[in-house]
Amino acid sequence: MKKTLAICLTAALLMLLVSACSSGGSSKEGEIKVGVLFSLSGPTSIVEKGMANAALMAIEEINASGGVNGEKLVPIQEDYASDPAAAATKAQKLILNDKVIAIIGGLTSASRQAMLPVVEQNNSILIYPTTYEGLEYSKNIIYANSVANQQLEPIVPWLVENVGKRVFFVGNDYVFPVEANNQVRVMLQRLGGEVVGEEYVPIGTTEFSSVLNKIKSAQPDFVFSTLIADSVPAFYNQYHDYGLDSKKIPIASPSATEAEIAGVSPAAAEGNISFFAYFQNLDTPENKKFVEAYRSKYGNEPIHTMMEASYNAVYLLKAALEKAGSNRSTENILNSFIGLELQAPQGKIKVAENNHLWLIPRIARLNAEGQFEIVKEFDAPIEPQPWSELLYPGHEKPWEK
Amino acid sequence: MNFLQSLTDGISVAAILVIVAMGFAITFGVMKVINLAHGEFIMIGAYTAYVFVSLLKMPFVVALIGAFLVSALVGMLVEYTVIKRLYGRTLDTLLATLGISIILQQLARLIFGVSTKSVSTPMTGSLKLGTVVIPNYRLFIILLSVILVGITLFILFRTNFGMKLRSVSMNRSICEVLGINTAKIDTLTFAYGSGLAGVAGAVLAPIRGISSTMGIEYLTDAFMVVVMGGVGSIAGTALGSALIGEFKQVVAFFSTEVSASILLFILVILVLRFKPEGLFKVERR
Repeated sequence: MKKTLAICLTAALLMLLVSACSSGGSSKEGEIKVGVLFSLSGPTSIVEKGMANAALMAIEEINASGGVNGEKLVPIQEDYASDPAAAATKAQKLILNDKVIAIIGGLTSASRQAMLPVVEQNNSILIYPTTYEGLEYSKNIIYANSVANQQLEPIVPWLVENVGKRVFFVGNDYVFPVEANNQVRVMLQRLGGEVVGEEYVPIGTTEFSSVLNKIKSAQPDFVFSTLIADSVPAFYNQYHDYGLDSKKIPIASPSATEAEIAGVSPAAAEGNISFFAYFQNLDTPENKKFVEAYRSKYGNEPIHTMMEASYNAVYLLKAALEKAGSNRSTENILNSFIGLELQAPQGKIKVAENNHLWLIPRIARLNAEGQFEIVKEFDAPIEPQPWSELLYPGHEKPWEK
Repeated sequence: MNFLQSLTDGISVAAILVIVAMGFAITFGVMKVINLAHGEFIMIGAYTAYVFVSLLKMPFVVALIGAFLVSALVGMLVEYTVIKRLYGRTLDTLLATLGISIILQQLARLIFGVSTKSVSTPMTGSLKLGTVVIPNYRLFIILLSVILVGITLFILFRTNFGMKLRSVSMNRSICEVLGINTAKIDTLTFAYGSGLAGVAGAVLAPIRGISSTMGIEYLTDAFMVVVMGGVGSIAGTALGSALIGEFKQVVAFFSTEVSASILLFILVILVLRFKPEGLFKVERR
């Protein structure tokens, strides 16, 4: 009995191996392989599953409407299981075995930084659809969401004017919160604002009583939160429990998306502010179409900025390939990205010469139903600055070389 | 800033830890099974609360009982199908429960989707004593932790099942010789431990979001409590929780959250080095 089981298992494993090997190799005529590399398991999969879905949906849409000049996009999906080291090996596999033309993927800065050397060494392309802190430029990476200065530059003056000048920083203990807070601090100094407290908690923290205690005694006008993942609903819920009123002292965040807010009870959510280039409730025809298509395909999940950016990433790749024409060298495709414009669900976006996007940030406030309502939309797109002029004036611009 | 407030918060954090760790302590202490899927039983309880309160609009008490029953049932199933076959093989049990935790996480994701879910706080408002503010729901958690410890102590020391359970934990083979059905005791113990984890999940649901991966951090918490308190004693679990809860709050009061976490781990390492049997372990022949 046990023996038969063992034999069956070995056979199954062998078959898996064989099928895995045979799926590699060069692509067929009329097909373009695209790597889709997100975590489908592990802690960050809560966010990344939706990003993978959105990218796959865009590939399907493009194929249904004729592909890239008649050629079909073929997605090769891999799961790096929230492990940056695995992201690097999977990226290598996609580039060397599957010979994908580009990879769309990554969430945390750790995952991007793990993939960066692989993509550079093999001279391939990575399209990274997450908001991030900047301080990076790789000619092989297209950064398809906002970089810190785009979220913060217009928003901090708005907060100081409309909410108040005394700010309390709360964030998870890693690079994005520290970098974002440094930028906000400099801006506050110029605007006559004041940082009345600064607390970092380990990633995954869900107990905030001591932080809330400190916020209460500091009496800020608003709390600037760079918390992510599970910490977001925990902090917002307990903020309310401890009697802090978000309608008077809101939490303002460049990192709390629809996905995390879904875990906040509506009473605790009301009044709090987030700022991104994209919100699910944006009123554009492209967004209506995008949300409807996603809903009918994957069900009633909240849709957030990283998902929209993953969707855009595929369309940007399509446009770049079309612009590149028959010359499919990495250099030519990368050059074709620069200056591309796209009518995305969030509105018009444009690839800048530093591989980041020109885009318009928006401010949204949570209403009594726990839904984001846009309260401010800036008129003009903001320039992406991986090294913000504010903190690093005159920093060298590697893309100009 | 208010130091008394920190001490009070420490009590409520300790109460949460007690509820989280007790189920783990029972399966670890009695069955010598390190259940790496403990956090997932907490998650099951939290999702049960979500179904009862947010979807079916039932009162929170129903959710508490429902969470206990659902988690206990799943626990029973897991014990019967997997863990029963691996007793005495610690390493294999570790691997098996790790596998179960991954399966349960993915199942939750298949059923409920990837996004975080919320349960509204069953009681709002707070109690003000001078400068100290305690949210009513936290008071409820403190009360519930005391009740759960009471019930568990009662079961362990005042019921026939508890007596058998304690004797199995002391000497399994003698119990078998004496005709105690140890397999049945194991199944029930595991079910009870899982049920307690389920209650923990339901209690935690309103103060945080519910996600399929929420169990992971509580596993570490439960482990630390049991290491500090000593394996196999409910009093040790309670005291271990109190120590960790207060330690974290007091250190965070004087410095930061991150240093509180670091110092806590150092404390745990020191305890392991100098008192590997735990701080509150009662010597037993």
